[in-house]
Amino acid sequence: MAHAKPIATLRSATGIPTGRLAIWWVLASEVVIFGGLLGAYLMHRLGHPEWADAAAHTNVWFGAFNTFVLLTSSFTAVLAHQAAEKGNGKEAAKLLCFTILGAVTFLIVKSIEWTNEILHGYTITANNFWSFYYTAAGLHGLHVIAGAVIMGFIAFDAYRGKELQRVEFIGIYWHFVDVVWIFLFPLLYIAK
Amino acid sequence: MSEHQEHHDEHHVNYKKIYFTLLGLLVVSVVGPFLGILWVTLLTAFGIALVKARLVINNFMHLKWEKRLMKWMLATSLVLMGIMFAGVAPDVMNHEGNNWENVAAKAAVARGVDGGEHAEEAGEEEETATEVVAAGFSAEQSFTLVCGTCHGSAGDGTGPAGAALDPPPADFTDPVFWETRDRDRIRIAIRDGAAAVGGSALMAPWGALYPDPDHLEQMVDYVISLGPNE
Repeated sequence: MAHAKPIATLRSATGIPTGRLAIWWVLASEVVIFGGLLGAYLMHRLGHPEWADAAAHTNVWFGAFNTFVLLTSSFTAVLAHQAAEKGNGKEAAKLLCFTILGAVTFLIVKSIEWTNEILHGYTITANNFWSFYYTAAGLHGLHVIAGAVIMGFIAFDAYRGKELQRVEFIGIYWHFVDVVWIFLFPLLYIAK
Repeated sequence: MSEHQEHHDEHHVNYKKIYFTLLGLLVVSVVGPFLGILWVTLLTAFGIALVKARLVINNFMHLKWEKRLMKWMLATSLVLMGIMFAGVAPDVMNHEGNNWENVAAKAAVARGVDGGEHAEEAGEEEETATEVVAAGFSAEQSFTLVCGTCHGSAGDGTGPAGAALDPPPADFTDPVFWETRDRDRIRIAIRDGAAAVGGSALMAPWGALYPDPDHLEQMVDYVISLGPNE
């Protein structure tokens, strides 16, 4: 990449750009965080056949639509990366804004879905299934919010042609958020 | 896999093709489970999730082109996750072992299946619970299932899970026990736990199991019926 780099990205003991190594380290720790949560969910789910009754009340269409939204936002994120590699900061910023739009859509759908469920009495304290449901999807939702905010800053810089390498880093993070949802979707919505 | 390949800025991935493949797989993973066949559901829901994740990780995150170090790093996280699961799952997924029994989990299964409309899943606990439900509420069966694990199904304090408890579970057949007990006290102990009447904190509150006051009274009657005077 031909553009100006912060000093940290110039130093590399591994041959991997430091920023990208850092984002993968973050993701390695995220794997343990989400892995622990989903692993705990899975073992309880397998030990409690009655959770299927609670899971039957989740709405597969909300989940499927949000999967579509996240897959699409991952697609625009990777196109932003492609644009950044060609040095086209404006195009990258535009595509990142589409990705943020995806994040906002995801959160709006999620809030409609949760409002509906909470009004029907399926709150986080209703039973252990719903506790896991809100904890796992909630933790994932926080990652969506964090990603969207950081993407805003990166898009702002990218539009001015600055720090274009960061477009790739936020993209890698965003795809991870997508991958987590790819697993949450069948675990929470499809297995009934 | 191109593990030895250097990371290139241009990966020549057809992102659009990958994207539409992902959407196609999403449709299959939603439609598959509607067939209602267990193995089709598992395959379409979880098998396809793995395929989708792999497509995203390799082509969007470009892990395919990363150095081996990065893959080892992620693999370490996955292994740690596996160790956690393997270590904890046997205790969580089983509700009883040689010397222990998870009374709360069993009761939760029984209660959950009771209230549910989707009781078609297989499972030993569920079968037992369904039998209880089919017969309507029975204080005797509920006592055996819930109380009997510690107090013994005869109420003499010799249940398998009670052996290790200190103080030991109450013996309802002991006349001395009834010298200091009355109906109200038994009711409160069942509903709010024995600690609520100055007894052992190990006797948990079970009120949530008997939201119907009539069922709670039947439980009180049953406990009293175990006493020597009746």
